[in-house]
Amino acid sequence: MRVTFCNLALPLVLAAAAGVTHANSDVERLTADPKNWAMQAGDMYNQRYSKLSQINAGNANKLQVAWTFSTGVLRGHEGSPLVVGDTMFLHAPFPNKIFAIDLNTNKIKWKYEPKQDPAVIPQMCCDTVNRGLAYAEGKVFLQQADSMLVAFDANSGKVLWSVKNGDPSVGAVNTNAPHVFKDKVITGISGGEWGVRGYVAAYNINSGDLVWKGYSTGPDDEMLIDPGTTTTWMDGRVQPVGADSSLKTWKGDLWKIGGGTTWGWYSYDKALNLMYYGTGNPSTWNPAQRPGDNKWSMSIWARDVDTGKVKWVYQMTPYDEWDFDGINEMILADIPVKGNMTKALVHFDRNGFGYTLDRTNGALLVAEKYDPTVNWATHVDMKTGRPQVVSKYSTAQNGPDVNTKGVCPAALGSKDQQPAAFSPKTKLFYVPTNHVCMDYEPFEVEYTAGQPYVGATLSMYPAIGPGKTGGMGNFIAWDAGTGKIVWSKPEKFSVWSGALATAGDVVFYGTLEGYLKAVDNQGKELWKFKTPSGIIGNVFTYEHKGKQYVGVFSGIGGWAGIGMAAGLEKDTDGLGAVGGYRELNQYTDLGGSLTVFALGN
Amino acid sequence: MSSVKSRSRNLIGVFMAVTFLQAGAEEPAAATSLYSVVDGYKVDSATMKGFRAWRAGACDRCHGANQEGMVGPSLINSLKVLSKEEFVKTVTEGRLEKGMVAFKTSKIVMDNMDNLYAYLKGRSDGAITRAKVEELKP
Repeated sequence: MRVTFCNLALPLVLAAAAGVTHANSDVERLTADPKNWAMQAGDMYNQRYSKLSQINAGNANKLQVAWTFSTGVLRGHEGSPLVVGDTMFLHAPFPNKIFAIDLNTNKIKWKYEPKQDPAVIPQMCCDTVNRGLAYAEGKVFLQQADSMLVAFDANSGKVLWSVKNGDPSVGAVNTNAPHVFKDKVITGISGGEWGVRGYVAAYNINSGDLVWKGYSTGPDDEMLIDPGTTTTWMDGRVQPVGADSSLKTWKGDLWKIGGGTTWGWYSYDKALNLMYYGTGNPSTWNPAQRPGDNKWSMSIWARDVDTGKVKWVYQMTPYDEWDFDGINEMILADIPVKGNMTKALVHFDRNGFGYTLDRTNGALLVAEKYDPTVNWATHVDMKTGRPQVVSKYSTAQNGPDVNTKGVCPAALGSKDQQPAAFSPKTKLFYVPTNHVCMDYEPFEVEYTAGQPYVGATLSMYPAIGPGKTGGMGNFIAWDAGTGKIVWSKPEKFSVWSGALATAGDVVFYGTLEGYLKAVDNQGKELWKFKTPSGIIGNVFTYEHKGKQYVGVFSGIGGWAGIGMAAGLEKDTDGLGAVGGYRELNQYTDLGGSLTVFALGN
Repeated sequence: MSSVKSRSRNLIGVFMAVTFLQAGAEEPAAATSLYSVVDGYKVDSATMKGFRAWRAGACDRCHGANQEGMVGPSLINSLKVLSKEEFVKTVTEGRLEKGMVAFKTSKIVMDNMDNLYAYLKGRSDGAITRAKVEELKP
């Protein structure tokens, strides 16, 4: 389907937030019913919280396997299935097979296997993952790796429309899940390691027509930024970004291959009519080649869902030197922050800082380390909003062809895309973290469209320095009002699964060895089960015929699991690139299946 | 792996063009028709260009920073079994279904194919003892 840009004319007057109408009322109704798991995060706020309480802290130790399903695909299984009424919708890594399963009979109602050019596979930096489906108004939406966004009739599996969202020939492929907010299905793009210029795009859910597209870098009108009304946090207050806020921070034309990709989890506040998401790293990984703040890579964005117009934007890591992508989920929660009840946005960034902002205007309220070994910056200056970089760990200051050692966190961050959960009951966030440090050596590279444009080599290993546990991950509880770790449960490997919090006062997460674990609100382990393969998917829950079920994909992969080595040589010179993850092959191999649990009878 | 080292010394005996020893060197110098290396990591300028092509291609992301293998196979092993022609074909055309990039449009890789082969063969032979090499001063 040909895409045109004629409807991208920037409105002269920003639509008043008060004039907003309804969220997609079908999705809103479905997510309000806790029997469903109708969105990837369970709801539009990215809270990953369920009101179901049949499974609770008292009986979780009686969980048993209820049923299982193999996707028939190996490699990393991220995201989770959706459950709408009596149907479960599943997806898989490349080639992105999808299934609709009748929960009454466990029969496959329909399935679909996209035909995609295998040339797409090498363009996927960090495994051939797919973060899942979206559902609205009797339609299922799949964002394929080859950038095709496809809509299906949820009952029959018939293809309703498809649209090309990116250009795989330059490395613009997709791993993210699409999100339905109002009458739009919103998606992003990957390729920050290929010099792809990032964007988010909104398509009409009925026709697949492009409604708006907002870039991450470049001229104001292409980002849908209004210099006078789009604001950022600067000098201790919210103020307009001014003209050419991106262009001024790039040398020459480098913004055209500037990165700022958008492959994380999005959220939406219907009262404000704002969608929230983060942008990834600037291209290349060699900062010397791209002096300047590289705006608006590494930023938190709030866009009007109808027009795409940017209400506010805040850059967490100006002039990135470590690949701390800002794409992690934006969790919306109404919580007390420093004594005041606040419409908050909470974000656990790759850079090791947990941010709390006022989601109405982007005011910076809290920025504190959520792993004690974080050392590349001493703190975030709350007035300027800028991190205070430690020279020793600055890969730019040490320069190209110099191995900057002992930087914490590693490039995969104190948390990568694996999403955290929020409990409105406890007002705490439950966060799956990485506890990993790195050596990082940048070097000069040239850009060729369609070829990797990386420019650094790294090795990653279990965290070092004060606060280290000896392991590579922690599952933590976090108070976003004060910026404090409330409790921390160490794990041997990075906790790479999405968490789930429930009204039964049970919190679930999965480990890279393949355990699904249940803990109580104080972090005490209640139960665990070894599933067929390492877990990088998101734990979800639903109810069917009066019984509550908890499920998760198994299938090791993703960036952490990509180091499933084949016949490793001995480490030499301490530059063991796979480091601690190499031990994973003593616990798991590849897999691809869903395991669903319920209380035993 | 000591068996690799002794094999490379045998290779030196067979292919030796120029050898020289430096006082205090940990490793004897190795030279073949493909590459020259001193102290295990100082290499001739052509092999150095091969190292730069290895870096530019971001090959470590799949093959490991030490060529030891990650999601892609160990090149220490692969270079023992692939012929030069097979190597060139694999790098040029990739192995798409397995996720390996086709480097045919990468100028730096294509222009330095022989140099890249020399660097990786040196690593595979065990003569180049670490991934990060430096250029021999003339």
